[in-house]
Amino acid sequence: MPRRRPWVRTLGILFIVLWSLVPLYWTLNTSLQTDAQISAKPAHYLPPSPTLSNYHALLSGAGEIPDTIRRSSINIVVECTAATIVTVVLATLAAYAFARMRFRGRNLLFYAVLATMAFPAYTTLIPLYRIMSLFGLVNTYTGIVLVYVSGFLPLATWILHSYMTSLPIAIEEAGQVDGASRMQILWRIVLPLAWPGIVSTAIITFLFAWAQFLFPLVLSSDLSTQPLTVAIAALQGRHTVPFGLLNAAGVLALAVPAVIAVALNRFIVNGLLSGSVK
Amino acid sequence: MTAFRYSRTVYLAGALVLVGAVATGCGGGKSGSGGSDKTTGVTITVALATEPPPQASIDAFTKSTGITVKWTNTDWDSLQTKIAAAATAKTYFADATDVDWSRVGQLGKLNWFYPMENYLDTKALAAEMPQLTSFSSNGHVVGIPYDASFLVTTVNKKLFTKAGISTMPTTIDEYTADLKQIKSKNVAQYPLNIPFAAAEGLSTYWYQTTAAFGGTILDGSGKPQFATPDSPGYRAAQWMVDAIKQGLVPPGNINVADSQGQQTLMAKGVVASTFADYSGNVGSLYSVPASSTVVDQVAYLSTPGVGGAGPNMSNPDGIGIPRQAKYPAAAAKFIDWFTNAQNQADFAGASGPDKVMPGYFLPSRLAGMTELTEKGKLIGGQQLADLLKNSAKPVFPQGAPSWYPEFSKSVYTSLHAAATGSMSVDDAIKAMAGTANKLSS
Repeated sequence: MPRRRPWVRTLGILFIVLWSLVPLYWTLNTSLQTDAQISAKPAHYLPPSPTLSNYHALLSGAGEIPDTIRRSSINIVVECTAATIVTVVLATLAAYAFARMRFRGRNLLFYAVLATMAFPAYTTLIPLYRIMSLFGLVNTYTGIVLVYVSGFLPLATWILHSYMTSLPIAIEEAGQVDGASRMQILWRIVLPLAWPGIVSTAIITFLFAWAQFLFPLVLSSDLSTQPLTVAIAALQGRHTVPFGLLNAAGVLALAVPAVIAVALNRFIVNGLLSGSVK
Repeated sequence: MTAFRYSRTVYLAGALVLVGAVATGCGGGKSGSGGSDKTTGVTITVALATEPPPQASIDAFTKSTGITVKWTNTDWDSLQTKIAAAATAKTYFADATDVDWSRVGQLGKLNWFYPMENYLDTKALAAEMPQLTSFSSNGHVVGIPYDASFLVTTVNKKLFTKAGISTMPTTIDEYTADLKQIKSKNVAQYPLNIPFAAAEGLSTYWYQTTAAFGGTILDGSGKPQFATPDSPGYRAAQWMVDAIKQGLVPPGNINVADSQGQQTLMAKGVVASTFADYSGNVGSLYSVPASSTVVDQVAYLSTPGVGGAGPNMSNPDGIGIPRQAKYPAAAAKFIDWFTNAQNQADFAGASGPDKVMPGYFLPSRLAGMTELTEKGKLIGGQQLADLLKNSAKPVFPQGAPSWYPEFSKSVYTSLHAAATGSMSVDDAIKAMAGTANKLSS
């Protein structure tokens, strides 16, 4: 039996934690400094006099950059929320159909849906752009939301399918014996039981949507639809990079998914593990 | 089961209604090429990585031509992605958009833009726009430069004087000696800014340094001109790497990009010089109190070359007409107006703040530059005008090759590796030359 080396594991964990958290810390650290402090040599590893001026400027200040960040924050919330709602509704219906209904080609269709997850998302960029352009949906919320939904629906369906197949079918059969229609069974029996799975699917979808960059970059032409992720990246391309504002915007963009991930962690884990243990 | 069948029918109908609503209610888009020749009563979209001219100027254009302009300001990187995506999908994106000098070869080869000679007298323009040559590909002009951007040496005169240097260097040897003197006298611990981060700015810095050493990067057929140790490109790379190894460049510059170095080092007086700086930075960055602690201290310097002043490499921004433009003729009229000498001078501040286009510093037309200089509205204007007229040269006289992005990536990754010490200069040059040979054959 080989000797255990707990310090190797500790060192490994420490390395991974630092690797992940140091950039985030540096973003936070920079966001709490003034421009003069940010460009000081040597760099400040802690904010010498922490200030929220960058956040204040972003959230309530005037000017092009605060306006951009505020508008793009609204856009990302609208797009992610809409995509999450549509995805979850469609995925619930699809997952239920695949899990409980008997029809010809069910398995083939289900695996075909799952197989779309194997395609690199970027290979669909140009065709999707062309389709959206054809329907006049470039630079519209509808276009971006539809693309998100098409991208996230297979995963959401899979998660919910796993969840629904893990539910006892006897209750649904009892409902059917009592004369409930399929929709009544879904609405009154399955949904209450599958609620944790639906919540976790919604959270995962929302987090995925929040992290999107390339698709909204291509599909949005201006600030009317540009989400926060795209707007922040654009700040780097400026003649004079506003480091303080850039990092404050980064922290704001991080905050939402971070809070969701930490606060609702158990739902996420629940959703991802659903169906893994019978 | 009836209920189930009924439900399925309802859902299918609902889905079709949804698709139909999307297709009809939200429809109206247009794809494909074959734009209209209309030049009045139309609305064109102009997508550039810059803020628009003042609304009053655009309104005046609309009034005189009947062309309404919808301006889209997108950052440069995003814009390139959008241009590529739209062109690949053969989809309308804008009527006029950015043509970067480094992408001219690609755009020309892919035929993504209309030849500008179809719409404007480009031969006449060439005499007025020294940087127009940077936009030629296969005998066609892909775009029209709308500003004059070229690489130029900047020096912090105060730091040079403090180190006892009263005469500015004119050769690369004098320049190097002066930097060493600034360091040895502790005026600046690291006097030179070279952005060694693995990014495009490092490539362009090397192009400019190579030009200062009296050489070119590629020949007409794309073969490397920097492979041998006595070649200017090789010596330029060696000079740059030696500079960081000898402590002339801040060690942290390994991860500093071009604009970052200008903003945090040069504008803060940490370094005394940037060999390949951006034209216009003295007026737009170093002399702006909000962004600089070295106001009135920084000046342009004629490129210190091997035996005197060397050339300045051009990297201007251009504007062209994508093949999928809805109104190419109207877009051409806009470009003609946008690059008009008087308008350019106005955008750069020759006629007061009301006509200024934010972020626009240098006209691409000599007449525009002259007017700006004569009115005293451009810091270092006369010098910049002279440089533009006499020494601004294209990096690739035959136009950037279509494989330029891949070559540039090889350049900046190799030079970055040489600066970190993980690769010798010789190996870096071999890698860069190998890439050029492979891509050009």
